[in-house]
Amino acid sequence: MNLTRRHFLQAAGSAGVLLPLTGISQLAWGAENTDRDLLVIVFQRGGCDGLSLVSPVNDQGYIDARAPEMRVAASGDKAGLALDSPMDAHIDFRLHPEARALQDLYKGKQLAFIHAVGLPNGTRSHFEAQDLIERGVADNQALKANTSGWLARSLSQMGADSMVPAVAAVPGLSHMLQGAPHALALPDLQAGVGLPGGPQGLAALQALYANRTDMVGAAGRGTLDALSAIDHQLPRGADNKVQNYQPAHNAVYDNNDLGRGLQAIARLSRMSVGLRVACVDQGGWDTHDNQPGRLNGQFGALARNLAAFHDDMAGSGTRVTTVVMTEFGRRLRSNRSNGTDHGHGGLMMVMGETVQGGQIYGRWPGLATEQLDRGVDLAVTTDYRAVLSEVLVQQGLGKQAIGSQVFPGYQPDLKLGLFRT
Amino acid sequence: MSTKQTEKKDIPAALLLNRCAYGPTERDLDALRAIGPSEWISQQLNPPAQEDAVVSKRLADLRLRIRYAAGQGYAARDEMAPLSTLDKPIEQVWNLADFKQPMAGNERSRPRFEVAAATLVRAAYSPWQLREVMVDFWHNHFNVYAMDAPISVALPTYDRDVIRKHCLGNFRAFLEAVATSTAMLYYLNNRSSRAGIANENYARELFELHTLGRDHYLNEYYSRWRDVPGATTGKPTGYIDQDVYEAARAFTGWVVEDGTGLGGGQNLPQTGKFTYVETWHDNYQKRVLATDFDPFQPPMADGRKVLDLVAAHPGTADYVCTKLCRRLLGDTPSKAMLASVTAVWRKHLKSPDQIARTIEFILHTPEFADSAGARVKRPVDLVVSYVRATGIDFTPTDGFIYELDGSGQRLFGWAPPTGHPDNNDYWLSSHVMRKRWGLLMGLTDNWWNTGAIDPRFGLGGGSTAAGALAVHWMGRFGNRAGEMDRIAGLLDGLGLAPDRVLNNDQGGLQQMRRIVAFAAMSPDFQYC
Repeated sequence: MNLTRRHFLQAAGSAGVLLPLTGISQLAWGAENTDRDLLVIVFQRGGCDGLSLVSPVNDQGYIDARAPEMRVAASGDKAGLALDSPMDAHIDFRLHPEARALQDLYKGKQLAFIHAVGLPNGTRSHFEAQDLIERGVADNQALKANTSGWLARSLSQMGADSMVPAVAAVPGLSHMLQGAPHALALPDLQAGVGLPGGPQGLAALQALYANRTDMVGAAGRGTLDALSAIDHQLPRGADNKVQNYQPAHNAVYDNNDLGRGLQAIARLSRMSVGLRVACVDQGGWDTHDNQPGRLNGQFGALARNLAAFHDDMAGSGTRVTTVVMTEFGRRLRSNRSNGTDHGHGGLMMVMGETVQGGQIYGRWPGLATEQLDRGVDLAVTTDYRAVLSEVLVQQGLGKQAIGSQVFPGYQPDLKLGLFRT
Repeated sequence: MSTKQTEKKDIPAALLLNRCAYGPTERDLDALRAIGPSEWISQQLNPPAQEDAVVSKRLADLRLRIRYAAGQGYAARDEMAPLSTLDKPIEQVWNLADFKQPMAGNERSRPRFEVAAATLVRAAYSPWQLREVMVDFWHNHFNVYAMDAPISVALPTYDRDVIRKHCLGNFRAFLEAVATSTAMLYYLNNRSSRAGIANENYARELFELHTLGRDHYLNEYYSRWRDVPGATTGKPTGYIDQDVYEAARAFTGWVVEDGTGLGGGQNLPQTGKFTYVETWHDNYQKRVLATDFDPFQPPMADGRKVLDLVAAHPGTADYVCTKLCRRLLGDTPSKAMLASVTAVWRKHLKSPDQIARTIEFILHTPEFADSAGARVKRPVDLVVSYVRATGIDFTPTDGFIYELDGSGQRLFGWAPPTGHPDNNDYWLSSHVMRKRWGLLMGLTDNWWNTGAIDPRFGLGGGSTAAGALAVHWMGRFGNRAGEMDRIAGLLDGLGLAPDRVLNNDQGGLQQMRRIVAFAAMSPDFQYC
């Protein structure tokens, strides 16, 4: 059935047939359009300082290691926002004041934090850490054997064979989706995905790319199929221009990469193309200098866009689970540029209606020198794969498949309990 | 050539002009055929220092729009202005980076636009094409993000006095030019690094991205420097985090004259130039790559010693030569090939033309001669090769640069210090594929005022049959014989019969232009 659908859509796209919108969407998805899952990964590129987002404001190690302006305050007009959490009875964890929008989601039990999480490997290299995480492994040796991304391998376990099962809302395909058939890169859907020359141009391109199996030919054919299927479904005004996306519930996204990307994901998930997984980036986290000012902007944008995405997708009939992650946390001690260098343990977030939110998960390792990783950084007490494994179970994958296919060599124990059962 | 390859192969002219130039033009093809590949390569690797006359004229004639509304303390501006920052020393433009002076953001970002425009002009028209290819390579290797105002202002100097000056020269000298450049000192924060707790940003990327590379980051040894293979004999095979920490200390005090307070009411001058501030330097003993540094060395000696160590490290030869091969071959070199390339690199460690010698060697390998079809054009390669093949009288515009920025390749605007990806996959994403087609259509229909196209360029004559025109352009865009069978389908898609005669009227010219643009969208033209 799925295959038939895919082939039908391809044929429709290839012929440049403009089917009435309702017709194609019913034929394509029908009743399955409701009650389906969408998994979204937001990757914070550059190493987000988790200690500033969910901040242990009364931890003596934190107070000693960072100059006052480098810390979230416990009191005053810029005090961190309270997060009631059973994670550690002695530590007062506060949310960064610029991330206020996340406090509502947290209190509404739609959002959970996982602290002191990350790679078991202690690399302090952005690009090595990103590669390891995106390919779902923990060491360089495993990198050689696993050239596809963990999200691509998860997708193949989900058996999603739709027109557009996966999208990376960035210009080039993210490594976590490397190897996923039919994965698209689409950083922005605001102005549509039109091809030059309209239906005639499409036909000309199809003639040029038909049956070509070389790398350019294959990429071109895949692009033509998917984009023409999407283009058919975008609403057009009287001037035949693609109409702007109108988020539901008056949700307002920022006009930045993350905002445009999440909006593209929301728009695509509302279309009948079978979107199952998506990822998007937020850059700018490598705060080696001038950290306080930069993090104000970063956390504000992150919180606003996540809240907008949550509001927009509420009641859409799609069960959205959003994971926020980064390659590593930052150095506990601040440097003399008012910044922090590359560290180790970080913070993850999971957001969605099935999340057991309003809690900080994991184990707080403490910030005394002997409790730190290599004496300098927040230790990792939760493997990033422990979080993703629970997310994947919630997405319908079996424990066996996760251990053998998605994260080879990793045994998920599913002990965090991030989701309501 | 000092190192003779044994199995010398003929280098196809098209390969050379696609890989070592921004695509063939008649003039370059003729020049290459007249002197042969070896001489062509040798000439290309010895370009004159001064700008080519044709390029100079185009740059002098170029006008780029600058437009903004009035703001607090400044008036509105909307004009076609000449390029004004390219030739100036940094102190003459540094006021653009002074945030105390009220000014529109577009004034501060202007230098980046000017360098981007000049880069496109040189790529299209410079006879010294291989230099332009290598300038692009090194701009990515030593990436900076010029969307930030101070780096935009420092970009003309960085492009001119660092990248262009050293792109074919000696790597050790290149490294120091980068380390003391305002653009890099801002981008990787060394300007704010101080004794005490140094800022590690530059030191880490110096090892990981500029020299030894990630494969030589021996993270598993972390603090046990003696356990790193070779360390006890002073020749560690790789680096560890402690090397990063220590190197960061070595570069403290390498800063920019940016007006920062020195204490006691004194400030650094505001010139944007490099300077060394002894009182900010961490003078105590250090150990980098298993080499001891004595305390209290002369000014800048610590940083220079780090540069000496990393420039001479065999890991740097491996990493940089692998990247050079990947760029020039379109693929990772075999172990045997890499060994022969690094031998040349290391033999010329002290030569003023170390990089040129290495490139020359790579281009004479049989692997290079066999590498056609291995590399995919990035958007800039594509648009410039299109301009060169179609003879468009090309002038970059702000609108065109904005469009290019959205294509996945932002000249001097890639945020992470890796530079743009150099693997084909990235440039084959659905987004980039779509943008390729849109860029070709827009250039052809002159959407961004970059210059009109003559759809009969290279054909001459009056009216043309659609089929003949398509054959002409498909061939010109490097389509192999078998691809010509697609012409019927291409024309059919465009609603044109092959024997349809297209006249010189508006409708006919529009149809002709569509044929040119779509022929360039063919898969074969996407390879270089």
